[in-house]
Formats: sequence, structure tokens, C-alpha cells
Amino acid sequence: MAVDGVRSAALVDIATGMVVRSDGEEGTDFLTAAAALADETRVARAALGPGRPGGDLEEISVITAGRVHLSRILGPRLGEGLLLFVDVDRTRVNIALASLQVGQLAPAVLA
Amino acid sequence: MNTTESEDGSVGPLREALTVCAAAGMTGVLRVTGDPGGAIHIADGLVAAIETPGAPGPEVLLLRSHRVSESGWDEAFAAAAASGGRMSTELTRREMIGAGELEWLLRTALADGMFVLASGTVDEYRAEPGPVDFVLPLQPGAEPDSLLAETSRRIRVLAAQPGRSGRDRIVAATGAVQPGMRLGEGQDEILALADGRRAARDLAFALGRGVYATMLQVARMKQAGLLVSVSARAADAAAAQVRRPAAGGDLPMISALPRRQRDAPGGPRRQWVPGRAPEIRTPLGLLRPRAARDAGSGETS
Repeated sequence: MAVDGVRSAALVDIATGMVVRSDGEEGTDFLTAAAALADETRVARAALGPGRPGGDLEEISVITAGRVHLSRILGPRLGEGLLLFVDVDRTRVNIALASLQVGQLAPAVLA
Repeated sequence: MNTTESEDGSVGPLREALTVCAAAGMTGVLRVTGDPGGAIHIADGLVAAIETPGAPGPEVLLLRSHRVSESGWDEAFAAAAASGGRMSTELTRREMIGAGELEWLLRTALADGMFVLASGTVDEYRAEPGPVDFVLPLQPGAEPDSLLAETSRRIRVLAAQPGRSGRDRIVAATGAVQPGMRLGEGQDEILALADGRRAARDLAFALGRGVYATMLQVARMKQAGLLVSVSARAADAAAAQVRRPAAGGDLPMISALPRRQRDAPGGPRRQWVPGRAPEIRTPLGLLRPRAARDAGSGETS
């Protein structure tokens, strides 16, 4: 994947929390973590409030001391949508640039 | 009879059968007799498709969700059959769905079918070598270990959910929806069909969604007070109440009439002409298939 500092990436079905595809260094407990990502998306959508005046959810960024987790929501044409999750090494990435790169890659996933 | 499901996610005899087929690199069908039973289509030891009356297949998922129109599907099917080509190729060539999106749908449909088989009972299974005969198989197929691990996860998740049954009929809770309330993620469609006669599984077929996804959504809606389960007797009363004339007419109780299983699978089926097994490329090519690291991971028995 053409994003600097990527450790792992996955496609997660939001409705079920199922890992559709994955690649990288994630551990064996990633199945459970992926389901948590789906729950996180659901909570974030609810937090946007009735009517979602600012528009639908596009991306969730979770930043820790060592990592950046970018979760890009792909069009919910089926079910609740698909999540493109990217785990990036924070020391090797410009967060804004990584977000831009992931956003640019996203449309190709479903094409 | 073997109950395949256990709350710790064990998938019992299905694991044994699929492991044998995978080890042999079999191409053919693994017929599962039981409730609901079904057929697991296997290509080179990988799971290409699952047919079961307990879960909607790719065609139902595409059409009932209106992701693909009936007329568009029929035209693509006719063209693929006439040319001996692949249905997946026709769908993507006509830009009715992206190849990546189709792969996503096929993978989730496989997982749903396996979950339904594993949640039921298995009386016996039988492997029948032969060509893969299914209109929209995933090719290359999914690794059995990966599918079984996902199935185990789903069973464990549902075991922790209150009111998780896929067979309990549900009805919208009175007064649950307030004016101006926004219902996301298809909850409004579920509420519209929750008439006390349908269970989560029926809703999945009616709406073109996965059984597991629908069971989860229904469980969440129950917790939110939007839906309630009804007993068979209460379901009859609810249905009759809906249809009874307001002025107390003398029409017979509707609930006394014979019931048809609404939205159940069945009816005339299109025959797929065997030939080359349809295949799709791997458009989710940004990511490689799950690696063999999953081979050793499995469910807790």
C-alpha cells in the first residue's frame, strides 16, 4: 500500500465486524480487534447526532504515542459499508498526508 | 444428529469435513444434511460458495437490497449463459457492481452461510467430487480455516447477546419511534417489516442482508427498546389486530388461515449451465489474501 509507515491494513465489513481482507503485521487477535473497529464506527456515527448536519462519517483517526490508526469508511451501498483500516507507525508518518493518501486509495478498493 | 454450535464457538463436524476436503485439494460439493443443511461448493480445497435455505445467497443479497436490478441481473445472466462466460464478468463489465464490491459481497455471503450451517445441526455430510456448479462462486475460494475462525467468532459474539435467537418473531415496540427520531443502518426498514410474523432470519431474506448481521441489528434494536419478541400466540393476536376492521366487523380471524413462510427461499431457480467455473479476479488487490498464518488458528473446542 502506497502509504508511508504502514504496519498493517484490513478491510472490515461494518455490519458484521468480519475481516474481508487483511495484510501486514497484525496479531492473531485481530479478528476481535476488527469487530471492535466496526463497533467504533457505529458509535462514531451515532455521535454525529440526528440528521448528521456535518455530513456522513468519512474517517476515524485514533492516535497514540506510537501509532496512528486510520479507518476510512467506504460507501454503504451494501449493508452498513466497508472499513479500510490502516495501522501506521507514527514516527514515520505525517498524519495529514497519510489520511490524504488513504482517502485517495479508497475508491479503488470497491472498483 | 450433531449439534454443531456451542457457545464457545466450536463448529464441530464441519471443521472435520472441511479439513479433509482441503487437505485433499478437492473440487466438488460437500453436501450437509441437517437443519438447515446445505451444500458447500469447494474448488481446489477452498470454499467457493455455500447454498443453504437458512441464509440468503449472493443473488438474493444483490436483488433484495436493490443493489442490482432484477432486469439488469436477468440480462447479465442471459448474456453469460449465451456466451458461456462468467456471471461475475458480466456484472462488472456492465458496471452494475464493482469487482471489489462483488468480492466483498461474496466473502460475506460465504461467512454467513457457514455461520448458519454451524449454528444448526448436522445429521450427515457427504463429499461429491465434480465441477463447481454455482452462478457466483468466489474464485479463488476462501480458506476453510479462515471461514471457520470467523464462524466461531460470530457464535461467541451472539452467545453473549441477550435475545439472540434468529427464530424468535419480533414486532416493533409500541411508541418506540418518536417523531423526528433518526434510525440509521437500515433500522427503519427492519421496523417496517417487524410485524410479529417475521424472525430475524426472515428479515434477512426480505431485505437482502446477512442473517448474522440482521440478528446483531435486531439484538441491538431490542436492547434499545425498538423491538420486542413475541410468542406465537401473541404474534397471531398482533397480526389479527392489524387486520381486524376498526369497527369490529365479522371477518374471520386472519391468524386462523394457513400460513405461508414469507420471504422463505425457494421458488423457481435459474439453472446455471456448467462449464468453466465463473471467477472473479482479486480486485481487492490493495491487500493480499489472508495468509497461511490463519491455518493454525481455530476455535476453542
